[in-house]
Amino acid sequence: MSACPGKIDAAFAAARQAPEPPGGKRGRLRVGIAGDFGEGLCTIVEEGKLSIGVYRIGGRFYAIRNVCPHQGAPLCRGRLMSTHAPGEVHQYQPALQGRVQRCPWHGWEFDVPSGKGLYDDRARVKTYRCEVDAEGVLWVEI
Amino acid sequence: MSTTTLSPRRIIDCDVHCNHSIESPDGLDPYIPETFRTAMELFMATRPSHGYRNPAGQVHRSDCDYRSAEGFERDHLDRYGITFAVMQPQPTMDYGLIHNADIGTMLCSAGNDWQVDHYLNRSERYLGSICVNMSDPAGAVREIERLGDHPQMVQILAPGEALLLYGHRFYHPVYEACERKGLVFALHPGSEGSFRSSTPVGRPSSYFEWHTSLPQTFMAHTGSLVAEGVFEKFPGLKVLLTEGGYGWLAPLMWRMDKNFKALRATVPWLRELPSTYIRRQVRLTTQPVEEPANPVHAMQMMEMIDAENTLCFSSDYPHWDFDDPFRAFPSRTPEALMERILWGNAYELYEKKLAPLMKARETEGAAR
Repeated sequence: MSACPGKIDAAFAAARQAPEPPGGKRGRLRVGIAGDFGEGLCTIVEEGKLSIGVYRIGGRFYAIRNVCPHQGAPLCRGRLMSTHAPGEVHQYQPALQGRVQRCPWHGWEFDVPSGKGLYDDRARVKTYRCEVDAEGVLWVEI
Repeated sequence: MSTTTLSPRRIIDCDVHCNHSIESPDGLDPYIPETFRTAMELFMATRPSHGYRNPAGQVHRSDCDYRSAEGFERDHLDRYGITFAVMQPQPTMDYGLIHNADIGTMLCSAGNDWQVDHYLNRSERYLGSICVNMSDPAGAVREIERLGDHPQMVQILAPGEALLLYGHRFYHPVYEACERKGLVFALHPGSEGSFRSSTPVGRPSSYFEWHTSLPQTFMAHTGSLVAEGVFEKFPGLKVLLTEGGYGWLAPLMWRMDKNFKALRATVPWLRELPSTYIRRQVRLTTQPVEEPANPVHAMQMMEMIDAENTLCFSSDYPHWDFDDPFRAFPSRTPEALMERILWGNAYELYEKKLAPLMKARETEGAAR
């Protein structure tokens, strides 16, 4: 029986580490009042050509670039779903529940908190740091 | 050095055929156990056919003596300087298609023993295939246990036609046995259309169309073996696809890799790109070699499938669609690549059995 980790295991390991994105160098965008955002929903904010999807998942806020690295589709307009982690043959291990963004064009999977593509060890989409200030306003740093 | 002239190369021919009848005394008759003799009299060995016939009336070449081992050696092995030839006995390889599973399994054993007596015991130039009844996985495993340690038996052989796609878990005990014994799992076409149509959308009208459709079966089985996790579950298993050509493999790998990016979550046991498993564990034989009008395209197709590591020569002797090892490939094929195709890839595939045979050969040569 194989237990040899492959590229997909590496992708999931990277997704689960989900490092905090670095702070923005250009400034920040106002997203809205944090308390207004429902769990599991995505809001798209735009600044010039920049388009970012902001999510509330498990009570925390995450943001990813709204562009699929494959063919440039509006990634965040796909469905936010769960996936299966790599496991034994013919066994199913639900994983990364409610935090996997599927691209609306070709269905490629990205873990939102980490931006990690789950189909390859190297693929990722850019992530942005989110912040809620003392007044309860949600900002995304760019 | 031109690749179109005879040169003292080493060659492993991964697909040659010997033939036998069931009834005749020099065929399987002496190998039928007493307990099955009545069943044979009761015509219980029937199997379906695909219903197509070669326009020459037979699939064998009419210019050679393929019926005797002497003729086989003179007209093929010696003529081309074949170092080892992998025997695929017919019709034993198709006995798994017999309606009655007990008879199918029994006749596979009879044909395998016949092959050992008539060819393998005669010369170590012959390597053998253990034909198994894939419709009876437990029986197939017993046969692998029974003959798997024979020093010249290098592979298990199953027909392209099957009850189920070969990735199905029904067959996994067979792959477990192959992996444990270090034996290759080989497929050979020719029976497609026996259980159902040879194409998924209907029966071809001609032998021409049927023969052209054969790689479709291999594409389906290859996709199934990958998707059902056979290569993940049995990482030591090697699969050899014989007589399917190789031109179809690159587009299949591309399509699988592309779909994997979208659909991985539905086959979550796959830890690598589908093409990674294929390059690691699937090998192909060359015949019937694709012959594009522009030979450069043949070279490009070889590059696309990493032929240096995946492609093994086969002649299909003595069949009508035979390939000559010195004439079948573009003359511009680099010598190093030809060496991999004619020898290196197959040697590595069968190394567990070939290394001792080569050593014995060297010792014998030194003693002379």
